[in-house]
Amino acid sequence: MRLSVAAAISHGRVYRRFGLSPRSRLDLLRNLVTALVRHERIETPWARADEMRGYAERLIDYAKRGDKDERAMRMADFWLTEKDLIHKLFKVLGPRFQPHPGSYTRLLQIPNRDGLDRAKMAVIELKGNPLPPLIRPRRDSDKTLLNQLLKGYRQDAQRAA
Amino acid sequence: VVVLVHSPLPRLRALIQRCWGRLERGLWPGVFGDHSQPWGPALAMQGLALVPQGINDGGESSAVAPSPLESVVWMAAPKQRRTIEVNRCRRRNPNKLIEIKRNIDVCPECGNLKQKHVLCGYCYAKVKEETRLVRMEIYKKERGPFNAPTVETVVLYEGEKPTEEDEGKRIIERARKRPSWFVQN
Repeated sequence: MRLSVAAAISHGRVYRRFGLSPRSRLDLLRNLVTALVRHERIETPWARADEMRGYAERLIDYAKRGDKDERAMRMADFWLTEKDLIHKLFKVLGPRFQPHPGSYTRLLQIPNRDGLDRAKMAVIELKGNPLPPLIRPRRDSDKTLLNQLLKGYRQDAQRAA
Repeated sequence: VVVLVHSPLPRLRALIQRCWGRLERGLWPGVFGDHSQPWGPALAMQGLALVPQGINDGGESSAVAPSPLESVVWMAAPKQRRTIEVNRCRRRNPNKLIEIKRNIDVCPECGNLKQKHVLCGYCYAKVKEETRLVRMEIYKKERGPFNAPTVETVVLYEGEKPTEEDEGKRIIERARKRPSWFVQN
């Protein structure tokens, strides 16, 4: 019975490998989380954005607990390297996402990077940010058949009432 | 392989005779790995005529056996040249061609092409430029690094007044008309 896993198999591993070591991976993600909290929208390789998303959302969950919470303060202290962002996190992002139950970030893919590597890039942003919107939600036009039928039905209902 | 070698190599022949004698008597076990005493040739090689008995002959017509000391590594090699027809069949096989992408669409806003699961490049460049200008205004307002405000921010364009819900927010002014795709909430 084989008791050890061969080095090349990674079945079930959820965390990607970045940087030079696990500590370096955490530092990289920490920088990205700090940048996201500061600028509210950043453009990075898709794998890094995807990895960072979970950490950012958990940090906001901690922020929702309020800054009196000792654990929340220690987490924010570790994850945000620029200490003025701790104030922003607890005073701005906490109240902003209080009504939301989860999913505070939006991850969208953009065309591949222009450089030699043509890396798969993504833009990750916090919802409710003041910057210009990336996608414009489109409603179906009124002229489609289904919408015309529904409009007719609504009018008939109104006339009957 | 029968090679006719004249007497110019008496020393080589003597060496071969001595080595073969030692091999025969099992006094040289390290050559082919550990075999037990009675051993035969470990490899069957075409044309290698090992004639130990004929060594003591004076006749040069016997084959000079290529000794087992030579390297005996046989590697695979193509027998025939592959014709251009066969080569073409292999190179142009559909699994070697580039896959065609069927997920390209037209962006409804600007009409450029985009992949279905990716943002339109042109529209994203527009938004990126506007975001850069907004960030420049923010930087001018903050007057230095590490001055992140503790209130929300709102961006207002020319001729716009803050509404009731923009009460306690920091206001960033942009000196242009509001773009059509940036809807004010």
